[in-house]
Amino acid sequence: MKKPNVMILRTEGTNCDEEAFFAFEKAGGNPKMVHINDLRNKKESFDNFNVLVLPGGFAYGDDVVSGKILAVELTSFFEKELKKFIERKDTVVIGICNGFQVLVRTGLLPFRNIGEMDATLTNNDSGHFECRWIHLKIEENSKSPILKNIGGQIVSYQVAHGEGKFYATDAVMDKIEKEGLVALRYVDESGNPTQNYPENPNGALHAIAGITDPTGRIFGLMPHPERFVLEEQHPNFKRMKKVTPQGLPIFENIITFIQSQ
Amino acid sequence: MIQTIRVASKNKIDDLSGKHLLNDIRTELKRTDITSVETVKIYRLEGVSEKEAELLTKKVFCEDINQIATINKPLLSSSSKIIEISYKPGVMNPEVASILKAAKDLGVNLIACDTSREYGFVGKINLEDAKKIIHDLKLFNKTVEHIVEDSPTTLIISGTAGKTKTITIREINDDQLMQLSKDTLFLNLEEMHVIQKYFQKIKRDPTDAELETLAQTWSEHSGHKTFKANITIIDKDLPSGRQKKTPLFSRIKKEALKHKKNIVSAFVDNSGAMDFYDGWAICGKAETHNSPSAIEPYGGAMTGSGGVFRDIVGTGLGAKTLVSTDIFCLAHPTLSDDKLPAGSLSPLYILKRVIAAVKDYGNRMGIPTNNGSLHFHNDFRAKPTVLVGAYGILPKKSAQKGTPKKGDIIVSIGGRIGRDGIHGATFSSAEMTDRTISVNAQAVQIGNAIEEKRTFDAIIEARDAGLIRAIQDSGGGGLSSAVGEIGSELGVTVQLKNERLKYQGLSPWEIWLSESQERMVLAIPKNKFSAFEKVCQKYNVEVTNLGFFDGSKKLNLFYGDEAVGELDMEFLHNGLPQRNMIAKKSIDKPLKEVLPTTPKSSAEWITICKKILSHPNIASKEPIVRLYDHTVQGTAVVYPFSGEKMDGPNDASVIRPLLNKPYGMVVSHGLNPILNRIDPYWGSMWAGAEALANYVAVGGDYKTASLINNYVWPFPDEESLWSLDQSVDAVVDFMSITKMPVISGKDSLSSTYRGKDGTIIKIPPVLCISVFGKIKDVSKTMTSDLKKENSILCLVGAMDYASLGGSTYYDIYGVLGNSVPKVAMKKLIQVADVIYNGIQKNQILSVHDISEGGLLTTVFEMCVGGNIGAHISISNKLSPEQILFNETAGTFVIEIENEHTAKKLFKNIPYTIIGKTLGEKILSVEQNKKELFSISIESLKRFWQEPMQKIFN
Repeated sequence: MKKPNVMILRTEGTNCDEEAFFAFEKAGGNPKMVHINDLRNKKESFDNFNVLVLPGGFAYGDDVVSGKILAVELTSFFEKELKKFIERKDTVVIGICNGFQVLVRTGLLPFRNIGEMDATLTNNDSGHFECRWIHLKIEENSKSPILKNIGGQIVSYQVAHGEGKFYATDAVMDKIEKEGLVALRYVDESGNPTQNYPENPNGALHAIAGITDPTGRIFGLMPHPERFVLEEQHPNFKRMKKVTPQGLPIFENIITFIQSQ
Repeated sequence: MIQTIRVASKNKIDDLSGKHLLNDIRTELKRTDITSVETVKIYRLEGVSEKEAELLTKKVFCEDINQIATINKPLLSSSSKIIEISYKPGVMNPEVASILKAAKDLGVNLIACDTSREYGFVGKINLEDAKKIIHDLKLFNKTVEHIVEDSPTTLIISGTAGKTKTITIREINDDQLMQLSKDTLFLNLEEMHVIQKYFQKIKRDPTDAELETLAQTWSEHSGHKTFKANITIIDKDLPSGRQKKTPLFSRIKKEALKHKKNIVSAFVDNSGAMDFYDGWAICGKAETHNSPSAIEPYGGAMTGSGGVFRDIVGTGLGAKTLVSTDIFCLAHPTLSDDKLPAGSLSPLYILKRVIAAVKDYGNRMGIPTNNGSLHFHNDFRAKPTVLVGAYGILPKKSAQKGTPKKGDIIVSIGGRIGRDGIHGATFSSAEMTDRTISVNAQAVQIGNAIEEKRTFDAIIEARDAGLIRAIQDSGGGGLSSAVGEIGSELGVTVQLKNERLKYQGLSPWEIWLSESQERMVLAIPKNKFSAFEKVCQKYNVEVTNLGFFDGSKKLNLFYGDEAVGELDMEFLHNGLPQRNMIAKKSIDKPLKEVLPTTPKSSAEWITICKKILSHPNIASKEPIVRLYDHTVQGTAVVYPFSGEKMDGPNDASVIRPLLNKPYGMVVSHGLNPILNRIDPYWGSMWAGAEALANYVAVGGDYKTASLINNYVWPFPDEESLWSLDQSVDAVVDFMSITKMPVISGKDSLSSTYRGKDGTIIKIPPVLCISVFGKIKDVSKTMTSDLKKENSILCLVGAMDYASLGGSTYYDIYGVLGNSVPKVAMKKLIQVADVIYNGIQKNQILSVHDISEGGLLTTVFEMCVGGNIGAHISISNKLSPEQILFNETAGTFVIEIENEHTAKKLFKNIPYTIIGKTLGEKILSVEQNKKELFSISIESLKRFWQEPMQKIFN
């Protein structure tokens, strides 16, 4: 089967691009690093790709607020292209960490309103950056193809961010819940969603760690599944009898979904 | 007209900075007169209409989900006392470039902008009280920031460039020569004479640029005069009372090059490189940034990180940085301000700010900071040690230092030049005085990680496209150093007018000397220049064609038509006279101290354990590690912390540089400054042994590893030069025994403080040995956390039981001691082999080395990681504190399945079975079947974790 083309979008301050590249390669995709300037000067086109990846990092230093400057650039120059891309049935957009921050600031998440923000990711309640492994529950009632067959599972990923608190008005939060857009929540040791630090590392409302749009094909999350696609990436691989790289299914699902279209 | 936009949180409860400040005012300042604090971000825009300001506010500055904004109107109520803090004009504000970009993307022509922050205090106070709070909480650093009293009328910095000046030097006397040297050149009289003679010979006086170039090239920072000096040792214990010795540097180099089987490049490039696998090389470098960090720790440590990362990208034809390490020696964070010498900042402030800097720079660069340590001693109160390391990877075929060819273009890329950082190199070679802060404030600047990141991205692409002939970091000394160095063989013609500036008004010599950050100088073949420019364009990196390699063997400097300098490269690089220096052993007077007696009761034992575990040198550094993105790039294998609750510390870092290969790179380090004060030879041997032990504990093979040595010493007067000489001898012996070569290093010999009142403070000398190398398979690595109940614990290695000098145990009694642990090096390498093989064969469950705090601390930390307990049973041949608190480096606690395996594994090396692991989470110790004490791990853990949690959570 043909390997789907995966665009790993780079710009100034992108820094989780190589591990994202590796994760997609391992999952059976055909990733390519694409600098935003090569999209602006038309050397590259969204038309040649099935997956758009906004990797982690500090795009433009996260100046003003995280992901803002890149979001302005994307909505200023690529509104049409992005609309066309997400309307195709054989595409997926995934934003990890800084990429998720960009997706909410472009308005692509949660409701595909390009240029209109409906939710935000703001400073961690602790007031500081946090790098640690945390537990997450993958939502059972998400209809996203990206979470196929892993709904209900408790997984461990790392977080590494300073501005990860998911925040929106009550009305928007209700809508997100009602439409089943929550993808992952921070949970405690017994698997229940929690507001307690550090299990919930940022104080996100409803313990939200990741969401999708209503089609389930635009996905953003604060934790880093791409940093857990190899056994030895887990700090306790020496203690564990069997290590399953729990980040990998996300990328495999994306590839499988595109191949099924 | 300037448009002023103010942005704040919509709900007060979301103003985290305000909340934290109010908390600090109540707890730290104990003030009850403030009822609330609010914070506001200010954006000032020049050259746009109010309508455009509205657009930018809506699209960029304010998110109305949780923020509110005003334009040209106050935001806080008039009842608050408002103080605004901003960077001083001319200090680089990294956010500005991003705002200009966003405006441009939105079609708004913004000419200039700036950002600042506003604090509003509500309560029964006046404006002066508010200012006092700002000062008391150290909310700004006067070196780079100020309180805004009047709103600026323009944000554009203007000025006209000064002309090149000629400095009279040929006909002045010695006093005048030294006057010229003081505060700017920092050269001694002999060196000033050599310069005088050179200009007498060429029959003209120097220009300002020439003199500055010489001063910076000949500074201790760049010239390493002490390490290249001939040394005469005066020591009454020697047969003739004195001994002539070869220079320190040549001793290190000579021994290192005897062990070159893995060396790819040593002593010639910006970092040292060694062989990796599959056609790759790995490289490493560590360097200090002490002087700037003493006066502006945030900017100082940031530019320290930035500089050492540039050493990596400036290796061979360009390397990618994989790992960053940070090592800080500071005064105790609890030291009160009144104990500080004039002109020094509080150690707590320095600690918080250097950590913030490493976090902000490393995280933005996407370089994991995953190894480091903190060492506290009050004699670091005037001059802290801030040592940053970096490690990288590059194709072996690109790993040799490049050689420019005649006709190649000199290119400077990266950040623009401003007045910041001028005299950094000469300044850092000078001793610190109470005048340092005011005189040398311009030597400090704020880093911009994103500028550096995009520059690196461009360099790696240009390297892979074969466009780079040679590359040099532009750091200390700026262009004068980078261009001077890269053109030292061929000679260069440089047109300074071509250089990109942050603002107008810089004199030619300032452009030449400026240490503005995030800049690299390259030699690019003429026919590849346009391809190189295209790569830079792709990454938004600015490029200057600065001149060419002209074959004249001279440094020819121009600013437009004006000749700014013409110096012989030979004189510039080899004219510095070799120093002859005297090192004198100071008289050994054994300290007469009352040594602590063995604790008598269980309660006494427990008190001491708690004191040791909460000693800041021992206390858990987890809250700091959590602030660093220590796993970015996905390469982490052995993390700083692991275990059941991921809070057990590991000894070193292992990463997988190539995600699709099983190969590992191991990075460790060791130092113990206070030991060097008692005995510089054995203290330095300890540092090497500790670094090696850390390396071995995680599964490293020292036979495929290299060393980096960093010396941070008091000013080399006769006494300090003697200890430095001893330390170098120890390093040479360490290399000779382990066969690991030093392939990179640096010295910083200015850590003495001299106050006006005669106060002299010398730091405890720092030798940091770092070990880095390769392993074939990352799955064969090891962590320190105990793996199971009822396994046995072995003390492995030869312990120098009687020597407790410099130990943490002594320190809590305020005692120093006379005898430091003498490591049995030859035994240690046998032990290292056994541990390596044991890990390879899966015969070892966990390993943790014994260092500061001693065996008890080691076992405790293993229990924390394993979330289980341990029982220790010690022999009655020694007093228990000699076993529990001895800090002989190169000894280990190793968890083994059973006695049988231990006996087989350790049969040829020193070992003792000292206990076993327990399901119950307690630590109990008995001697001769009699329990000394028993205590729960949880209660000890609180003492161990609290000190840093208090500062960083």
